[in-house]
Amino acid sequence: MTVRPGLMALALALGTSPAAAQTMRPFATFRQMHGETRLGARLEYAAGSLRIAPGQPAELYRMDLSYDEDRFVPLSDFDVTRGSVLLGLRAAGDAGVRVVSRNQLQQVASVAFSPRVDLALDLMLGAVDAAVDLGGLRVSTLDLKTGASRSVVRFSQPNLTRCRSAHFSAGAAELTVIGLGNSRCDEIEFEGGVGRVTLDFSGSGTSSARVQVKMAVGELTLRLPRNAGVRIAMDRFLSRFAPAGLVLRGNEFVSPGYDRSQRKLDLDLTTAMGGVNVEWVE
Amino acid sequence: MRTFSRLLLLLALLSGGQRPVAAETRPRSSAGDLVDQFWTIITDVSSRLHPQREPAKPRVRPQAIPQGGTPIDLSDLSRPTIVEARLRSTLERDDGTRRLTVAGGNARQGDFSLGSSEDLKGNLLVVDGDADVYGSLRGNLVTVDGDVVVHPGGVVSGDVLTLGGKVRDEGGEIGGEVRTLQSAPRKAPVAGEAAARLSPFESVLRRGAGVLGVFLTLCALGFGLVMFGRQNLEVVSDTVSHSFGRAFVTGLLGQILLLPTFGMLVVGLILSVAGILLLPFAVAVFAMLTVIAVVGGYLAVAHAMGETYTRRRMALGVVIGSANSYRYLLVGLLGLASVWAAWALFGWVPIAGSIVWGAAFFVSWLLGTAGFGAALLSRAGIKENFAGRLLPPEALTDEYLWATPQFGVPAGRRPGTRTPTRGT
Repeated sequence: MTVRPGLMALALALGTSPAAAQTMRPFATFRQMHGETRLGARLEYAAGSLRIAPGQPAELYRMDLSYDEDRFVPLSDFDVTRGSVLLGLRAAGDAGVRVVSRNQLQQVASVAFSPRVDLALDLMLGAVDAAVDLGGLRVSTLDLKTGASRSVVRFSQPNLTRCRSAHFSAGAAELTVIGLGNSRCDEIEFEGGVGRVTLDFSGSGTSSARVQVKMAVGELTLRLPRNAGVRIAMDRFLSRFAPAGLVLRGNEFVSPGYDRSQRKLDLDLTTAMGGVNVEWVE
Repeated sequence: MRTFSRLLLLLALLSGGQRPVAAETRPRSSAGDLVDQFWTIITDVSSRLHPQREPAKPRVRPQAIPQGGTPIDLSDLSRPTIVEARLRSTLERDDGTRRLTVAGGNARQGDFSLGSSEDLKGNLLVVDGDADVYGSLRGNLVTVDGDVVVHPGGVVSGDVLTLGGKVRDEGGEIGGEVRTLQSAPRKAPVAGEAAARLSPFESVLRRGAGVLGVFLTLCALGFGLVMFGRQNLEVVSDTVSHSFGRAFVTGLLGQILLLPTFGMLVVGLILSVAGILLLPFAVAVFAMLTVIAVVGGYLAVAHAMGETYTRRRMALGVVIGSANSYRYLLVGLLGLASVWAAWALFGWVPIAGSIVWGAAFFVSWLLGTAGFGAALLSRAGIKENFAGRLLPPEALTDEYLWATPQFGVPAGRRPGTRTPTRGT
């Protein structure tokens, strides 16, 4: 009789089955180059970490993805008539994205575009940790919308074509844009809700740019190149501005030698609460 | 005793037989190696109890799949998960005889090769085999549990989708998109899943180690608190003992109001403009105070439990060497840890383990809430209002000094005495 409890315990021990595990699923997509000269790429990425970089010239685009198949579905759809592609990761169903654990953020995506085509890039990022390097690509337009994300956009090399406009829109986010001088963008626009934003205008570009910044609450850091003439028009409310190295001329702050500079940066800043810092870079 | 010696012998045999190379090359002088070896033994025994079952995939004889069933459209592969769900449900539905119709195309099972001189029109589905393309396929190509290899000179004019396979482009031409949806590997298990996979013995060890770690941590914190803040700890402890219900209600309200208070603090600082600079500091201080109140309150509850238990034993005549706060705290923490020790022992049992966990959590929450409330009531042990230490005035009367213990009642004159007069 005394053996029975032991047998029962052993049976329970052997019968303990492992719980069903959640699955992270690899997905990959690419398209060979077939003489395309332009590509409109829209990347929707709901949650996880994202890396964008130049890819192989023979491939129009490529996306390697590891995603949570219980909550998300991968996107990959090329429209031949428009020459555009939709890539990314969307929440399964219509319930939106709910970040319930850190495991959910372990999704990883790596996206690459061919440096041979003019790229109109449209990024929509959710709860994302993004590292975007557009240096060496031919970016004709750039539109970045981020939610609660931490994003670093970098132009590590000069843009191979002229960029008409770059538009950044951030919600409650930390956004750093480095090397805007390499972007060769004529118009740069930023709209921010709450967060910390760094706009770095360094780079080897010589073209002038008009920059419009609208910031609600948060801290904005402007890294300005010393070789450029800078003019800042401020419209601020309950926010501080440290115009280091700038002189007040009328209602605007300008850098010494602004009128003589070949490369001009004209910034219109609208801020509500927070602060605007100015740093100078070589 | 005999069983124990047999178990030791078994462990010794297992440890000696498993890793002879490691035994020769690695010196076993450190305790870390011993622990490592111990876990290796446990892992080996566990793997023998729960062997991995990887079913071998049978080779499928190459042939065309007979037509039948609901036609499947492979013209749109832009939603690979939907295509996969549709295909797999169709393939799994059959009972031995597989029948499948691809709208405007072909379906095959087993390895399939499209020769260099062949020109195939329509979409192609290959199930349980690889697709080697040397020729020309004018349509989409889908494989289920197989690879796609496009050889030099091979052409696929449409999209390529592999479900559970890979695409190897060896110099061919693919006109459309290439999508690869691989089989889902097991994700790195989260803590709960890992615990679910452990054997009961491992589970008990792991949970026991966790409980022991928390117990030792609380002991260290508690002894530090006794050493540097005994007065405050005792006041909070007395508040728990003397006003438990009041402390619990206060703790409950404190938990409810914690987040709104934090929100008001943040919003208030933001709206005050100048205060926005203080926001990080305020957030850190708020978090620190909350943690101190919760942990300190919990330790105070342990102190109160230990003190009550020790005093009752002393009242029964048990001789206790040093009845001080260190002992109270240790005894109380042992009592609190005992409920979690029960969970550590029986947590692996289905259903009952969850119930034990729930009970342990509830008890801990109950006492933690009371401790948190006591910390709030006593202002972290500064105010003694609810600690039962401030005696009412009527309790301070002394019948030897005063004729009557009652306040406000005129004292009666004793016979034969006279009222003392000042200055006489």
